[in-house]
Amino acid sequence: MHYHAESYGNYNASTVRQNAAVDPLERVVRLASGSAVVIFSLSTCCMCHAVKRLFCGMGVNPTVYELDLDPRGKELERALMRLLGDGSAVPVVFIGGKLVGAMDRVMASHINGTLVPLLKEAGALWL
Amino acid sequence: MASHRIESDLGHIPYAVPHIIHPPSTFINQEGSAFDFGELEEAIVLQTVNDTKQPLYTEKPAATLEMFPSWPMRFHHTPRGSSKSGEESTDSGSAVHALSSRGEGSRLELESPVGRKASSSSDHHQMIDQMHHLQIPQQLEVASASNSPRTGISQPQLARPTSEKRRGAGSNSERMLDAKTLRRLAQNREAAKKSRLRKKAYVQQLESSRIRLSQLEQDLQRARSQGFFMGGGGGAGGNISSGAAIFDMEYARWLEDDHKHMTEIRTALQAHLSDGDLRVILDGYITHYDEIFRLKGVAAKSDVFHLITGMWTTPAERCFLWMGGFRPSELVKMLTAQLDPLTEQQVMGIYNLQRSTEQAEGALSQGLEQLQQSLTDTIASGSVNDSMHHMAVALGKLTNLEGFVRQADNLRQQTLHQLHRVLTVRQAARCFLVIGEYYGRLRALSSLWASRPRETFIGDDILCQATTDLQMVQQSSQNHFSNF
Repeated sequence: MHYHAESYGNYNASTVRQNAAVDPLERVVRLASGSAVVIFSLSTCCMCHAVKRLFCGMGVNPTVYELDLDPRGKELERALMRLLGDGSAVPVVFIGGKLVGAMDRVMASHINGTLVPLLKEAGALWL
Repeated sequence: MASHRIESDLGHIPYAVPHIIHPPSTFINQEGSAFDFGELEEAIVLQTVNDTKQPLYTEKPAATLEMFPSWPMRFHHTPRGSSKSGEESTDSGSAVHALSSRGEGSRLELESPVGRKASSSSDHHQMIDQMHHLQIPQQLEVASASNSPRTGISQPQLARPTSEKRRGAGSNSERMLDAKTLRRLAQNREAAKKSRLRKKAYVQQLESSRIRLSQLEQDLQRARSQGFFMGGGGGAGGNISSGAAIFDMEYARWLEDDHKHMTEIRTALQAHLSDGDLRVILDGYITHYDEIFRLKGVAAKSDVFHLITGMWTTPAERCFLWMGGFRPSELVKMLTAQLDPLTEQQVMGIYNLQRSTEQAEGALSQGLEQLQQSLTDTIASGSVNDSMHHMAVALGKLTNLEGFVRQADNLRQQTLHQLHRVLTVRQAARCFLVIGEYYGRLRALSSLWASRPRETFIGDDILCQATTDLQMVQQSSQNHFSNF
């Protein structure tokens, strides 16, 4: 699992252009498309810890964005909350750039057997 | 004067008996003693009978109308002797009106037929008896201030013996009797008034109780849907919070429904119903399970500790509790042995289900562990100065518990749904029957354990003794063997 903090590291011309995208939702989508499995999280959130452990336990290497460690994380959080509709903004999981949802949707998709094919399709899981 | 008045009063006695009995002049004298309608009436009647043998209805009938304006029309039909004397005295009028205001409806039944009868006959004795018929029920009515109609037919038995007695008592001064009458009337008035007030108060009480009941029901409904604790100190009262108590009640009802569903499935399987019918029954059972998870969600909002400590379950279930309920992977493991025969695809499905539930449980458990660790750190740290701040932070962290219980219940619900998907209708029906029976037996185990015979001291002693005996026997047998 690798953690990304947008303002530190990965600082090159392309990311500068990318960072200029002001709309937080756009940014969310862009970040989500950047990796096979993307998790938006808060470092203090225990449920986020649970979802991270789930993917690691399955042998998946997700990209995690800790929004409390991101200077523009607040607006991302708000955008995610609007996206999900209710409850807390995190954790939110994107697989293959597509929104899977919050913890309950991730759990449900794992139990009903749709999560693993999705991961395989995104190239996050082999075998 | 007085006699004239009495006479004229007598004129309309049969038609308006109780009211006319009292000559107006005597109302002014308030010498009170126990009043007897019968005595007075009898005295008046006797006097009249002794004095004059004129028919009683020679007087002007019109005066009656004026004398008793509050009386209903029926009385006006019957011809009556009357006098204006009653009217002239306000006391009599008021007494009469007071009397007439009580039990008018039923009294009418008594009096008008009797009145009609009296009008058609000139027999004084008949009239006397009829008077008594009227006066006795009248007395009773007035005394009880009730409107229940009484028949005059039963009264003759009452009236006759008393009338014999009363015939002898006619010598009392009319004034005193009238005073008695007045007092009795007043007492009756009071009694009737009190009775009316009591009835009114009672009805008002009923109404307010009804309103309160409907409000309570509304509050309960709201509390159930929102999981809030309405009214009274936030769960501090008693060992169990309102949300927990509500959930316990709903869970008890759910268990009853569960039993019904299981019976239904069992009968359906034994009756070899079609798959379509079985599917309907099974869907009903799934919905039934969805319902308990919904209820648990509501309860988690109001009292997560009640769920997570398993106080809503039986002790044996509590032993196996995981995050406020059963462990899905354990359930699947238990079922794999019970679900033969399965197709290869189904075997794979069940196997995957077991793996995914195990992984999900592991993830949630780790998340909860982190929460507990974080909570411990918060509570342990912090000086005296900012202890309140740390408590506030700790409270904030505790709210996450609800999320974990919700996710665990979500996991359980998804597991049951997946079982329903992987298996055929018949297999799923058997599967759910097995689940229901399993937990039923676990609950029964709790009850059996609780009611098992416990001979604590004696039992332990015997146990100790038995153990040492066993050891001795073992040692001796070892010695024997060593000899060999």
